[in-house]
Amino acid sequence: MNTGGWTFLALSWGGIIGLGVFCFYKVFSKRKIS
Amino acid sequence: MKPKHTRDTWGSRLGIIMAVAGSAVGLGNFLRFPVQAAGNGGGAFMIPYFISLLLLGLPLMWIEWTLGRFGGGFEHGTAPGIFHTVWKKNRFIKYFGVIGIFGPFVIFIYYTFIESWTLAYSYYSLKGLYTQAADQASMQAFLKGYQGIEHNAFFQGLGPAYIFFLITFALNIFVVYFGIKGGIETLSKIAMPILLCFGVLLMVRVLTLGTPDPAKPDWNLLNGLGFLWNPDFSALKSAKVWLAAAGQIFFTLSVGIGVILTYASYLSRGDDVALSGLTAVTTNEIAEVVIGGSIIIPAAFVFFGPLGIQAVAKQGAFDLGFVTMPFIIGKLPLSALLGFLWFGLLFLAGITSSISLAQPAIAFLEDEFNITRRRAVSIFAAFAFILCQPAIFLLSKGVVNELDFWGGTFCLVLFGTVEAILFAWVFGMDKAWEEIHHGADIRVPGIYKFIIKFITPLFLLCILGFWFYQEGLPTILLKGVEEANRPYIFWTRIGLISLFVLLSVLVKIAWSKRAKKAQRELI
Repeated sequence: MNTGGWTFLALSWGGIIGLGVFCFYKVFSKRKIS
Repeated sequence: MKPKHTRDTWGSRLGIIMAVAGSAVGLGNFLRFPVQAAGNGGGAFMIPYFISLLLLGLPLMWIEWTLGRFGGGFEHGTAPGIFHTVWKKNRFIKYFGVIGIFGPFVIFIYYTFIESWTLAYSYYSLKGLYTQAADQASMQAFLKGYQGIEHNAFFQGLGPAYIFFLITFALNIFVVYFGIKGGIETLSKIAMPILLCFGVLLMVRVLTLGTPDPAKPDWNLLNGLGFLWNPDFSALKSAKVWLAAAGQIFFTLSVGIGVILTYASYLSRGDDVALSGLTAVTTNEIAEVVIGGSIIIPAAFVFFGPLGIQAVAKQGAFDLGFVTMPFIIGKLPLSALLGFLWFGLLFLAGITSSISLAQPAIAFLEDEFNITRRRAVSIFAAFAFILCQPAIFLLSKGVVNELDFWGGTFCLVLFGTVEAILFAWVFGMDKAWEEIHHGADIRVPGIYKFIIKFITPLFLLCILGFWFYQEGLPTILLKGVEEANRPYIFWTRIGLISLFVLLSVLVKIAWSKRAKKAQRELI
Protein backbone atom coordinates (compact mmCIF):
# COMPACT_ATOMS: atom_id res chain seq x y z
CA MET A 1 0.00 0.00 0.00
CA ASN A 2 1.38 3.42 -0.90
CA THR A 3 1.36 6.64 1.13
CA GLY A 4 -1.83 7.83 -0.57
CA GLY A 5 -3.57 4.59 0.39
CA TRP A 6 -2.49 4.90 4.02
CA THR A 7 -3.61 8.55 4.05
CA PHE A 8 -7.08 7.74 2.73
CA LEU A 9 -7.45 4.78 5.06
CA ALA A 10 -6.35 6.80 8.10
CA LEU A 11 -8.55 9.80 7.25
CA SER A 12 -11.62 7.65 6.51
CA TRP A 13 -11.29 5.42 9.55
CA GLY A 14 -10.27 8.29 11.81
CA GLY A 15 -13.15 10.49 10.68
CA ILE A 16 -15.80 7.80 11.01
CA ILE A 17 -14.59 6.35 14.31
CA GLY A 18 -14.09 9.85 15.76
CA LEU A 19 -17.63 10.84 14.78
CA GLY A 20 -18.91 7.57 16.20
CA VAL A 21 -17.24 8.22 19.56
CA PHE A 22 -18.67 11.76 19.62
CA CYS A 23 -22.20 10.59 18.76
CA PHE A 24 -22.34 7.73 21.24
CA TYR A 25 -20.82 9.89 23.97
CA LYS A 26 -23.60 12.45 23.41
CA VAL A 27 -26.28 9.74 23.21
CA PHE A 28 -25.21 8.03 26.43
CA SER A 29 -24.78 11.29 28.29
CA LYS A 30 -28.48 12.03 27.63
CA ARG A 31 -29.70 8.50 27.48
CA LYS A 32 -33.44 8.62 28.19
CA ILE A 33 -35.81 9.92 25.58
CA SER A 34 -38.14 12.51 27.01
CA MET B 1 -65.80 3.87 19.61
CA LYS B 2 -62.64 2.76 21.37
CA PRO B 3 -59.68 2.42 18.99
CA LYS B 4 -58.58 -1.18 18.47
CA HIS B 5 -54.92 -0.33 18.38
CA THR B 6 -52.77 2.09 20.30
CA ARG B 7 -49.54 3.20 18.66
CA ASP B 8 -46.36 1.56 19.86
CA THR B 9 -43.41 3.57 21.14
CA TRP B 10 -39.67 2.94 21.39
CA GLY B 11 -38.43 1.86 24.79
CA SER B 12 -35.14 3.73 24.60
CA ARG B 13 -33.22 6.06 22.40
CA LEU B 14 -30.51 3.48 21.82
CA GLY B 15 -33.27 1.13 20.65
CA ILE B 16 -34.36 3.29 17.72
CA ILE B 17 -30.75 4.15 16.80
CA MET B 18 -29.86 0.44 16.70
CA ALA B 19 -33.05 -0.35 14.76
CA VAL B 20 -32.39 2.34 12.12
CA ALA B 21 -28.69 1.37 11.93
CA GLY B 22 -29.78 -2.30 11.71
CA SER B 23 -32.07 -1.43 8.84
CA ALA B 24 -29.22 0.37 7.05
CA VAL B 25 -26.53 -2.23 7.74
CA GLY B 26 -27.32 -4.97 5.26
CA LEU B 27 -25.61 -7.35 2.89
CA GLY B 28 -24.50 -4.37 0.77
CA ASN B 29 -22.21 -3.06 3.52
CA PHE B 30 -20.04 -6.16 3.37
CA LEU B 31 -20.47 -7.17 -0.28
CA ARG B 32 -21.37 -4.14 -2.42
CA PHE B 33 -19.21 -1.40 -0.85
CA PRO B 34 -15.77 -3.06 -1.22
CA VAL B 35 -16.52 -4.02 -4.85
CA GLN B 36 -17.65 -0.47 -5.66
CA ALA B 37 -14.63 1.12 -3.97
CA ALA B 38 -12.08 -1.23 -5.53
CA GLY B 39 -13.59 -0.81 -8.99
CA ASN B 40 -13.97 2.97 -8.89
CA GLY B 41 -10.65 4.52 -7.99
CA GLY B 42 -9.80 2.83 -4.67
CA GLY B 43 -9.02 5.45 -2.01
CA ALA B 44 -10.03 8.24 -4.42
CA PHE B 45 -13.56 6.73 -4.41
CA MET B 46 -13.82 7.93 -0.82
CA ILE B 47 -13.78 11.58 -1.99
CA PRO B 48 -17.11 11.42 -3.90
CA TYR B 49 -18.32 8.89 -1.30
CA PHE B 50 -17.91 11.29 1.63
CA ILE B 51 -19.12 14.29 -0.40
CA SER B 52 -22.27 12.27 -1.21
CA LEU B 53 -22.60 11.33 2.43
CA LEU B 54 -22.54 14.99 3.48
CA LEU B 55 -24.74 16.35 0.68
CA LEU B 56 -27.13 13.48 0.17
CA GLY B 57 -27.04 10.79 2.86
CA LEU B 58 -27.06 12.90 6.01
CA PRO B 59 -29.69 15.41 4.78
CA LEU B 60 -32.00 12.60 3.65
CA MET B 61 -31.55 10.85 6.98
CA TRP B 62 -32.56 14.03 8.85
CA ILE B 63 -35.45 14.62 6.45
CA GLU B 64 -36.85 11.12 7.03
CA TRP B 65 -36.42 11.18 10.81
CA THR B 66 -38.08 14.59 10.99
CA LEU B 67 -40.96 13.81 8.62
CA GLY B 68 -41.55 10.48 10.37
CA ARG B 69 -41.75 12.03 13.84
CA PHE B 70 -43.99 14.80 12.47
CA GLY B 71 -46.39 12.30 10.85
CA GLY B 72 -46.42 10.10 13.94
CA GLY B 73 -47.83 13.07 15.86
CA PHE B 74 -50.90 12.77 13.62
CA GLU B 75 -51.12 8.98 14.11
CA HIS B 76 -49.65 8.28 10.66
CA GLY B 77 -46.75 5.86 10.44
CA THR B 78 -46.40 5.54 6.68
CA ALA B 79 -45.76 7.81 3.73
CA PRO B 80 -49.35 8.22 2.42
CA GLY B 81 -50.51 9.70 5.73
CA ILE B 82 -47.28 11.59 6.41
CA PHE B 83 -47.20 13.17 2.93
CA HIS B 84 -50.89 14.06 3.24
CA THR B 85 -50.25 15.69 6.62
CA VAL B 86 -47.43 17.78 5.12
CA TRP B 87 -49.41 18.82 2.02
CA LYS B 88 -53.09 18.73 3.01
CA LYS B 89 -54.27 20.76 0.02
CA ASN B 90 -53.00 18.21 -2.48
CA ARG B 91 -55.38 15.28 -3.00
CA PHE B 92 -52.85 13.18 -4.90
CA ILE B 93 -49.74 13.36 -2.73
CA LYS B 94 -50.94 10.43 -0.59
CA TYR B 95 -50.78 8.22 -3.69
CA PHE B 96 -47.10 9.17 -4.14
CA GLY B 97 -46.73 7.99 -0.57
CA VAL B 98 -47.86 4.50 -1.66
CA ILE B 99 -44.26 4.06 -2.95
CA GLY B 100 -43.19 4.13 0.72
CA ILE B 101 -45.18 0.93 1.37
CA PHE B 102 -44.85 -0.69 -2.04
CA GLY B 103 -41.02 -0.39 -2.19
CA PRO B 104 -40.19 -2.05 1.13
CA PHE B 105 -42.84 -4.72 0.57
CA VAL B 106 -41.38 -5.64 -2.83
CA ILE B 107 -37.85 -5.75 -1.39
CA PHE B 108 -39.10 -7.95 1.49
CA ILE B 109 -40.44 -10.46 -1.05
CA TYR B 110 -37.00 -11.37 -2.41
CA TYR B 111 -34.73 -10.18 0.41
CA THR B 112 -36.10 -12.76 2.86
CA PHE B 113 -35.16 -15.54 0.44
CA ILE B 114 -31.60 -14.23 -0.01
CA GLU B 115 -31.34 -13.75 3.76
CA SER B 116 -32.29 -17.41 4.20
CA TRP B 117 -29.24 -18.43 2.12
CA THR B 118 -27.01 -16.82 4.76
CA LEU B 119 -28.76 -18.79 7.50
CA ALA B 120 -28.33 -22.00 5.50
CA TYR B 121 -24.66 -21.29 4.79
CA SER B 122 -24.08 -20.57 8.52
CA TYR B 123 -25.43 -24.04 9.24
CA TYR B 124 -23.47 -25.62 6.37
CA SER B 125 -20.30 -23.91 7.70
CA LEU B 126 -20.66 -25.60 11.06
CA LYS B 127 -21.41 -28.95 9.36
CA GLY B 128 -18.45 -28.48 7.00
CA LEU B 129 -20.65 -29.21 3.96
CA TYR B 130 -19.35 -26.71 1.43
CA THR B 131 -15.71 -27.40 2.26
CA GLN B 132 -16.14 -30.47 0.01
CA ALA B 133 -16.06 -28.02 -2.90
CA ALA B 134 -12.45 -28.20 -4.12
CA ASP B 135 -12.37 -25.08 -6.29
CA GLN B 136 -14.37 -21.98 -7.20
CA ALA B 137 -16.30 -23.83 -9.92
CA SER B 138 -17.43 -26.46 -7.39
CA MET B 139 -18.40 -23.69 -4.96
CA GLN B 140 -20.45 -22.10 -7.74
CA ALA B 141 -22.10 -25.47 -8.37
CA PHE B 142 -22.87 -25.71 -4.64
CA LEU B 143 -24.64 -22.32 -4.77
CA LYS B 144 -26.57 -23.13 -7.96
CA GLY B 145 -27.56 -26.51 -6.57
CA TYR B 146 -28.77 -24.88 -3.37
CA GLN B 147 -30.77 -22.27 -5.31
CA GLY B 148 -32.44 -25.06 -7.27
CA ILE B 149 -31.02 -23.73 -10.55
CA GLU B 150 -29.29 -27.05 -11.28
CA HIS B 151 -29.34 -30.60 -9.93
CA ASN B 152 -25.85 -31.74 -8.99
CA ALA B 153 -23.82 -33.78 -6.53
CA PHE B 154 -24.46 -31.24 -3.76
CA PHE B 155 -28.24 -30.74 -4.08
CA GLN B 156 -31.01 -32.61 -5.86
CA GLY B 157 -33.70 -29.96 -5.51
CA LEU B 158 -34.94 -26.83 -3.82
CA GLY B 159 -36.01 -28.63 -0.61
CA PRO B 160 -33.20 -27.46 1.73
CA ALA B 161 -33.42 -23.88 0.44
CA TYR B 162 -37.19 -23.88 0.99
CA ILE B 163 -36.84 -25.16 4.56
CA PHE B 164 -34.35 -22.39 5.39
CA PHE B 165 -36.65 -19.87 3.73
CA LEU B 166 -39.54 -21.04 5.93
CA ILE B 167 -37.39 -20.70 9.07
CA THR B 168 -36.20 -17.22 8.05
CA PHE B 169 -39.70 -16.06 7.11
CA ALA B 170 -41.11 -17.37 10.40
CA LEU B 171 -38.34 -15.61 12.38
CA ASN B 172 -39.15 -12.31 10.66
CA ILE B 173 -42.86 -12.63 11.37
CA PHE B 174 -42.14 -13.70 14.96
CA VAL B 175 -40.10 -10.52 15.55
CA VAL B 176 -42.57 -8.07 14.00
CA TYR B 177 -45.45 -9.81 15.80
CA PHE B 178 -44.02 -8.55 19.10
CA GLY B 179 -44.15 -4.97 17.89
CA ILE B 180 -41.75 -2.05 17.94
CA LYS B 181 -40.50 -2.26 21.50
CA GLY B 182 -40.92 -5.98 22.23
CA GLY B 183 -39.83 -7.27 18.82
CA ILE B 184 -37.85 -4.90 16.59
CA GLU B 185 -36.09 -2.96 19.36
CA THR B 186 -35.22 -6.09 21.34
CA LEU B 187 -33.79 -7.88 18.31
CA SER B 188 -31.83 -4.82 17.12
CA LYS B 189 -30.28 -4.24 20.55
CA ILE B 190 -29.11 -7.86 20.67
CA ALA B 191 -28.24 -8.42 17.00
CA MET B 192 -26.31 -5.20 16.28
CA PRO B 193 -23.60 -5.65 18.94
CA ILE B 194 -23.23 -9.33 17.95
CA LEU B 195 -23.00 -8.33 14.29
CA LEU B 196 -20.28 -5.77 15.06
CA CYS B 197 -18.39 -8.34 17.18
CA PHE B 198 -18.55 -10.93 14.35
CA GLY B 199 -17.35 -8.24 11.93
CA VAL B 200 -14.43 -7.21 14.15
CA LEU B 201 -13.38 -10.86 14.68
CA LEU B 202 -13.36 -11.51 10.93
CA MET B 203 -11.57 -8.23 10.30
CA VAL B 204 -8.84 -9.14 12.79
CA ARG B 205 -8.47 -12.57 11.15
CA VAL B 206 -8.11 -11.04 7.67
CA LEU B 207 -5.74 -8.30 8.87
CA THR B 208 -3.45 -10.95 10.35
CA LEU B 209 -3.30 -13.07 7.18
CA GLY B 210 0.14 -11.69 6.26
CA THR B 211 1.56 -13.59 3.27
CA PRO B 212 -0.07 -17.05 3.31
CA ASP B 213 1.92 -18.33 0.29
CA PRO B 214 5.65 -17.59 0.68
CA ALA B 215 6.13 -18.50 -3.00
CA LYS B 216 4.05 -15.43 -3.91
CA PRO B 217 5.39 -12.64 -1.67
CA ASP B 218 3.42 -9.92 -3.52
CA TRP B 219 0.15 -11.61 -2.63
CA ASN B 220 0.16 -10.12 0.86
CA LEU B 221 -2.26 -8.28 3.07
CA LEU B 222 -0.73 -4.82 2.68
CA ASN B 223 -1.00 -5.05 -1.10
CA GLY B 224 -4.58 -6.28 -0.60
CA LEU B 225 -5.41 -3.19 1.44
CA GLY B 226 -3.57 -1.15 -1.20
CA PHE B 227 -5.85 -2.61 -3.90
CA LEU B 228 -8.80 -1.08 -2.06
CA TRP B 229 -7.24 2.12 -0.71
CA ASN B 230 -4.46 3.31 -3.10
CA PRO B 231 -6.01 6.38 -4.73
CA ASP B 232 -6.42 6.65 -8.50
CA PHE B 233 -7.23 10.33 -8.90
CA SER B 234 -7.89 10.00 -12.64
CA ALA B 235 -11.10 8.12 -11.68
CA LEU B 236 -12.49 11.38 -10.27
CA LYS B 237 -12.83 12.74 -13.82
CA SER B 238 -15.41 10.06 -14.56
CA ALA B 239 -19.09 10.86 -13.96
CA LYS B 240 -19.62 7.10 -13.56
CA VAL B 241 -17.45 7.08 -10.42
CA TRP B 242 -19.36 9.99 -8.86
CA LEU B 243 -22.64 8.30 -9.69
CA ALA B 244 -21.41 5.02 -8.20
CA ALA B 245 -20.41 6.80 -4.97
CA ALA B 246 -23.73 8.66 -4.71
CA GLY B 247 -25.58 5.39 -5.43
CA GLN B 248 -23.63 3.53 -2.77
CA ILE B 249 -24.43 6.21 -0.15
CA PHE B 250 -28.06 6.23 -1.16
CA PHE B 251 -28.49 2.46 -1.02
CA THR B 252 -26.43 1.84 2.10
CA LEU B 253 -28.35 4.19 4.39
CA SER B 254 -31.84 2.76 3.78
CA VAL B 255 -33.05 6.23 2.83
CA GLY B 256 -35.75 6.54 0.18
CA ILE B 257 -37.41 3.28 1.21
CA GLY B 258 -39.95 4.58 3.71
CA VAL B 259 -38.62 2.49 6.58
CA ILE B 260 -37.04 5.35 8.55
CA LEU B 261 -40.26 7.38 8.19
CA THR B 262 -42.12 4.52 9.84
CA TYR B 263 -39.55 3.93 12.58
CA ALA B 264 -39.37 7.64 13.44
CA SER B 265 -43.17 7.88 13.58
CA TYR B 266 -43.03 5.97 16.89
CA LEU B 267 -41.02 8.80 18.50
CA SER B 268 -42.64 11.41 20.69
CA ARG B 269 -42.77 15.04 19.63
CA GLY B 270 -40.02 16.07 22.05
CA ASP B 271 -37.55 13.34 21.10
CA ASP B 272 -34.31 14.24 19.37
CA VAL B 273 -33.89 13.40 15.70
CA ALA B 274 -30.72 15.36 14.83
CA LEU B 275 -28.24 13.41 16.98
CA SER B 276 -30.07 10.10 16.62
CA GLY B 277 -30.05 10.36 12.82
CA LEU B 278 -26.33 11.23 12.80
CA THR B 279 -25.54 8.33 15.15
CA ALA B 280 -27.42 5.84 12.97
CA VAL B 281 -25.50 7.08 9.90
CA THR B 282 -22.16 6.80 11.73
CA THR B 283 -22.91 3.26 12.92
CA ASN B 284 -23.68 2.25 9.35
CA GLU B 285 -20.44 3.84 8.12
CA ILE B 286 -18.36 2.02 10.74
CA ALA B 287 -19.89 -1.27 9.57
CA GLU B 288 -19.34 -0.39 5.90
CA VAL B 289 -16.02 1.45 5.59
CA VAL B 290 -14.09 0.14 8.59
CA ILE B 291 -15.38 -3.46 8.79
CA GLY B 292 -16.81 -4.08 5.29
CA GLY B 293 -13.70 -2.66 3.62
CA SER B 294 -11.37 -4.87 5.65
CA ILE B 295 -12.76 -8.33 4.98
CA ILE B 296 -13.61 -9.56 1.53
CA ILE B 297 -11.33 -7.59 -0.83
CA PRO B 298 -8.08 -7.88 1.18
CA ALA B 299 -8.80 -11.59 1.80
CA ALA B 300 -9.54 -12.26 -1.88
CA PHE B 301 -6.36 -10.41 -2.92
CA VAL B 302 -4.18 -12.52 -0.66
CA PHE B 303 -5.53 -15.74 -2.21
CA PHE B 304 -6.08 -14.72 -5.84
CA GLY B 305 -3.40 -12.06 -6.41
CA PRO B 306 -3.60 -8.76 -8.33
CA LEU B 307 -4.93 -10.31 -11.56
CA GLY B 308 -7.25 -12.85 -9.97
CA ILE B 309 -8.94 -10.23 -7.79
CA GLN B 310 -9.97 -8.22 -10.88
CA ALA B 311 -11.84 -11.24 -12.19
CA VAL B 312 -13.27 -11.98 -8.75
CA ALA B 313 -14.51 -8.39 -8.29
CA LYS B 314 -16.25 -8.53 -11.68
CA GLN B 315 -18.28 -11.60 -10.61
CA GLY B 316 -20.55 -9.35 -8.61
CA ALA B 317 -21.38 -9.02 -4.95
CA PHE B 318 -23.32 -12.29 -4.54
CA ASP B 319 -20.66 -14.52 -6.02
CA LEU B 320 -18.11 -12.73 -3.90
CA GLY B 321 -20.11 -13.46 -0.74
CA PHE B 322 -21.38 -16.97 -1.48
CA VAL B 323 -18.67 -18.40 -3.76
CA THR B 324 -15.36 -16.61 -3.25
CA MET B 325 -15.56 -15.98 0.48
CA PRO B 326 -16.50 -19.54 1.55
CA PHE B 327 -13.80 -20.84 -0.80
CA ILE B 328 -11.21 -18.60 0.91
CA ILE B 329 -12.49 -19.51 4.37
CA GLY B 330 -12.16 -23.18 3.44
CA LYS B 331 -8.41 -22.67 3.06
CA LEU B 332 -7.96 -21.24 6.56
CA PRO B 333 -7.62 -22.99 9.91
CA LEU B 334 -10.86 -23.01 11.95
CA SER B 335 -12.80 -22.73 8.70
CA ALA B 336 -16.06 -23.96 10.28
CA LEU B 337 -15.96 -21.18 12.87
CA LEU B 338 -14.89 -18.49 10.39
CA GLY B 339 -17.59 -19.56 7.93
CA PHE B 340 -20.19 -19.42 10.69
CA LEU B 341 -18.97 -15.91 11.66
CA TRP B 342 -19.08 -14.68 8.04
CA PHE B 343 -22.56 -16.01 7.22
CA GLY B 344 -23.80 -15.25 10.74
CA LEU B 345 -22.69 -11.66 10.17
CA LEU B 346 -24.60 -11.55 6.87
CA PHE B 347 -27.67 -13.17 8.44
CA LEU B 348 -27.81 -10.65 11.30
CA ALA B 349 -27.29 -7.80 8.83
CA GLY B 350 -30.10 -9.31 6.75
CA ILE B 351 -32.69 -9.89 9.46
CA THR B 352 -32.32 -6.43 11.03
CA SER B 353 -33.01 -5.05 7.54
CA SER B 354 -35.87 -7.38 6.58
CA ILE B 355 -37.90 -6.75 9.74
CA SER B 356 -37.67 -3.03 8.94
CA LEU B 357 -38.97 -3.74 5.43
CA ALA B 358 -42.03 -5.49 6.87
CA GLN B 359 -42.92 -2.69 9.26
CA PRO B 360 -44.31 -0.02 6.83
CA ALA B 361 -47.01 -2.37 5.46
CA ILE B 362 -47.94 -3.50 8.98
CA ALA B 363 -48.00 0.08 10.30
CA PHE B 364 -50.20 1.10 7.35
CA LEU B 365 -52.79 -1.56 8.19
CA GLU B 366 -52.70 -0.71 11.89
CA ASP B 367 -52.82 3.08 11.58
CA GLU B 368 -55.10 3.60 8.60
CA PHE B 369 -57.53 0.70 9.18
CA ASN B 370 -57.44 0.76 12.96
CA ILE B 371 -56.79 -2.95 13.35
CA THR B 372 -54.74 -4.76 15.95
CA ARG B 373 -51.07 -5.57 15.41
CA ARG B 374 -51.86 -9.27 15.57
CA ARG B 375 -54.33 -8.98 12.71
CA ALA B 376 -52.10 -6.65 10.70
CA VAL B 377 -49.14 -9.02 11.03
CA SER B 378 -51.33 -12.01 10.03
CA ILE B 379 -52.58 -10.24 6.89
CA PHE B 380 -49.05 -9.15 6.02
CA ALA B 381 -47.61 -12.62 6.61
CA ALA B 382 -50.22 -14.39 4.47
CA PHE B 383 -49.88 -11.93 1.60
CA ALA B 384 -46.07 -11.74 1.73
CA PHE B 385 -45.72 -15.53 1.90
CA ILE B 386 -47.71 -15.99 -1.30
CA LEU B 387 -45.76 -13.27 -3.11
CA CYS B 388 -42.40 -14.70 -2.00
CA GLN B 389 -43.04 -17.88 -4.04
CA PRO B 390 -42.22 -16.48 -7.52
CA ALA B 391 -38.94 -15.07 -6.15
CA ILE B 392 -38.02 -18.55 -4.89
CA PHE B 393 -39.17 -20.74 -7.75
CA LEU B 394 -38.40 -18.36 -10.63
CA LEU B 395 -35.01 -17.11 -9.46
CA SER B 396 -33.26 -18.32 -12.61
CA LYS B 397 -35.83 -16.55 -14.80
CA GLY B 398 -34.68 -13.10 -13.69
CA VAL B 399 -37.68 -12.42 -11.41
CA VAL B 400 -35.53 -11.36 -8.42
CA ASN B 401 -33.52 -8.95 -10.58
CA GLU B 402 -36.76 -7.44 -11.84
CA LEU B 403 -38.16 -7.05 -8.30
CA ASP B 404 -34.86 -5.53 -7.19
CA PHE B 405 -34.93 -3.04 -10.06
CA TRP B 406 -38.41 -1.71 -9.25
CA GLY B 407 -38.53 -2.13 -5.47
CA GLY B 408 -34.88 -1.71 -4.57
CA THR B 409 -33.70 0.88 -7.08
CA PHE B 410 -36.36 2.78 -9.03
CA CYS B 411 -38.72 3.36 -6.10
CA LEU B 412 -35.88 4.42 -3.79
CA VAL B 413 -34.52 7.15 -6.01
CA LEU B 414 -37.99 8.41 -6.95
CA PHE B 415 -39.27 8.36 -3.37
CA GLY B 416 -36.13 10.06 -2.03
CA THR B 417 -36.51 12.85 -4.60
CA VAL B 418 -40.21 13.36 -3.82
CA GLU B 419 -39.71 13.52 -0.05
CA ALA B 420 -36.71 15.89 -0.31
CA ILE B 421 -38.72 18.32 -2.46
CA LEU B 422 -41.78 17.94 -0.24
CA PHE B 423 -39.78 18.64 2.90
CA ALA B 424 -37.78 21.63 1.68
CA TRP B 425 -40.25 23.27 -0.65
CA VAL B 426 -43.78 22.32 0.44
CA PHE B 427 -43.33 21.93 4.18
CA GLY B 428 -41.10 24.99 3.92
CA MET B 429 -37.45 25.27 4.90
CA ASP B 430 -37.99 27.56 7.90
CA LYS B 431 -40.63 25.26 9.39
CA ALA B 432 -38.53 22.21 8.46
CA TRP B 433 -35.44 23.65 10.17
CA GLU B 434 -37.45 24.37 13.30
CA GLU B 435 -38.86 20.84 13.21
CA ILE B 436 -35.39 19.24 12.90
CA HIS B 437 -34.24 21.16 15.98
CA HIS B 438 -37.31 20.49 18.09
CA GLY B 439 -35.95 18.53 21.07
CA ALA B 440 -32.56 18.21 19.34
CA ASP B 441 -29.42 17.34 21.31
CA ILE B 442 -27.09 18.82 18.71
CA ARG B 443 -27.37 21.83 16.46
CA VAL B 444 -27.20 20.95 12.76
CA PRO B 445 -24.67 23.28 11.03
CA GLY B 446 -26.45 26.26 9.43
CA ILE B 447 -25.05 25.40 5.98
CA TYR B 448 -27.45 22.43 5.94
CA LYS B 449 -30.39 24.79 5.60
CA PHE B 450 -29.01 25.67 2.17
CA ILE B 451 -27.93 22.10 1.39
CA ILE B 452 -31.33 20.57 2.24
CA LYS B 453 -33.20 23.24 0.30
CA PHE B 454 -31.11 23.34 -2.88
CA ILE B 455 -28.27 20.85 -3.08
CA THR B 456 -29.95 17.62 -1.93
CA PRO B 457 -33.01 17.89 -4.23
CA LEU B 458 -30.76 18.92 -7.14
CA PHE B 459 -28.32 16.09 -6.42
CA LEU B 460 -31.24 13.64 -6.32
CA LEU B 461 -32.71 14.95 -9.57
CA CYS B 462 -29.29 14.51 -11.21
CA ILE B 463 -28.99 10.95 -9.90
CA LEU B 464 -32.55 10.20 -11.04
CA GLY B 465 -31.82 11.60 -14.54
CA PHE B 466 -28.41 9.94 -14.98
CA TRP B 467 -29.56 6.67 -13.51
CA PHE B 468 -32.71 6.63 -15.65
CA TYR B 469 -30.63 7.25 -18.78
CA GLN B 470 -27.86 4.78 -17.94
CA GLU B 471 -29.73 1.90 -16.33
CA GLY B 472 -33.44 2.66 -16.05
CA LEU B 473 -34.33 2.93 -19.72
CA PRO B 474 -32.41 -0.17 -20.89
CA THR B 475 -33.97 -2.21 -18.07
CA ILE B 476 -37.48 -0.95 -18.76
CA LEU B 477 -37.01 -1.81 -22.46
CA LEU B 478 -35.85 -5.34 -21.44
CA LYS B 479 -32.42 -4.89 -23.03
CA GLY B 480 -30.18 -7.85 -22.26
CA VAL B 481 -33.10 -10.01 -21.07
CA GLU B 482 -33.08 -13.49 -22.61
CA GLU B 483 -35.99 -14.17 -24.94
CA ALA B 484 -37.05 -17.20 -22.87
CA ASN B 485 -37.29 -15.09 -19.70
CA ARG B 486 -39.37 -12.27 -21.17
CA PRO B 487 -42.79 -13.78 -20.31
CA TYR B 488 -41.70 -14.13 -16.68
CA ILE B 489 -40.53 -10.52 -16.57
CA PHE B 490 -43.78 -9.41 -18.23
CA TRP B 491 -45.93 -11.18 -15.64
CA THR B 492 -43.73 -9.90 -12.80
CA ARG B 493 -44.40 -6.37 -14.01
CA ILE B 494 -48.14 -7.05 -14.23
CA GLY B 495 -47.97 -8.37 -10.66
CA LEU B 496 -46.11 -5.29 -9.45
CA ILE B 497 -48.57 -2.93 -11.14
CA SER B 498 -51.46 -4.88 -9.57
CA LEU B 499 -49.82 -4.60 -6.14
CA PHE B 500 -49.34 -0.85 -6.55
CA VAL B 501 -52.97 -0.43 -7.68
CA LEU B 502 -54.19 -2.53 -4.74
CA LEU B 503 -52.24 -0.40 -2.25
CA SER B 504 -53.58 2.78 -3.89
CA VAL B 505 -57.14 1.46 -3.59
CA LEU B 506 -56.50 0.69 0.10
CA VAL B 507 -55.31 4.28 0.58
CA LYS B 508 -58.45 5.53 -1.14
CA ILE B 509 -60.67 3.34 1.10
CA ALA B 510 -58.83 4.43 4.25
CA TRP B 511 -59.22 8.10 3.42
CA SER B 512 -62.91 7.69 2.51
CA LYS B 513 -63.51 6.01 5.87
CA ARG B 514 -61.61 8.78 7.62
CA ALA B 515 -63.68 11.47 5.84
CA LYS B 516 -66.96 9.73 6.74
CA LYS B 517 -65.89 9.41 10.36
CA ALA B 518 -65.00 13.12 10.48
CA GLN B 519 -68.41 13.98 9.02
CA ARG B 520 -70.22 11.82 11.61
CA GLU B 521 -68.28 13.50 14.41
CA LEU B 522 -69.28 16.93 13.07
CA ILE B 523 -72.95 15.93 13.11
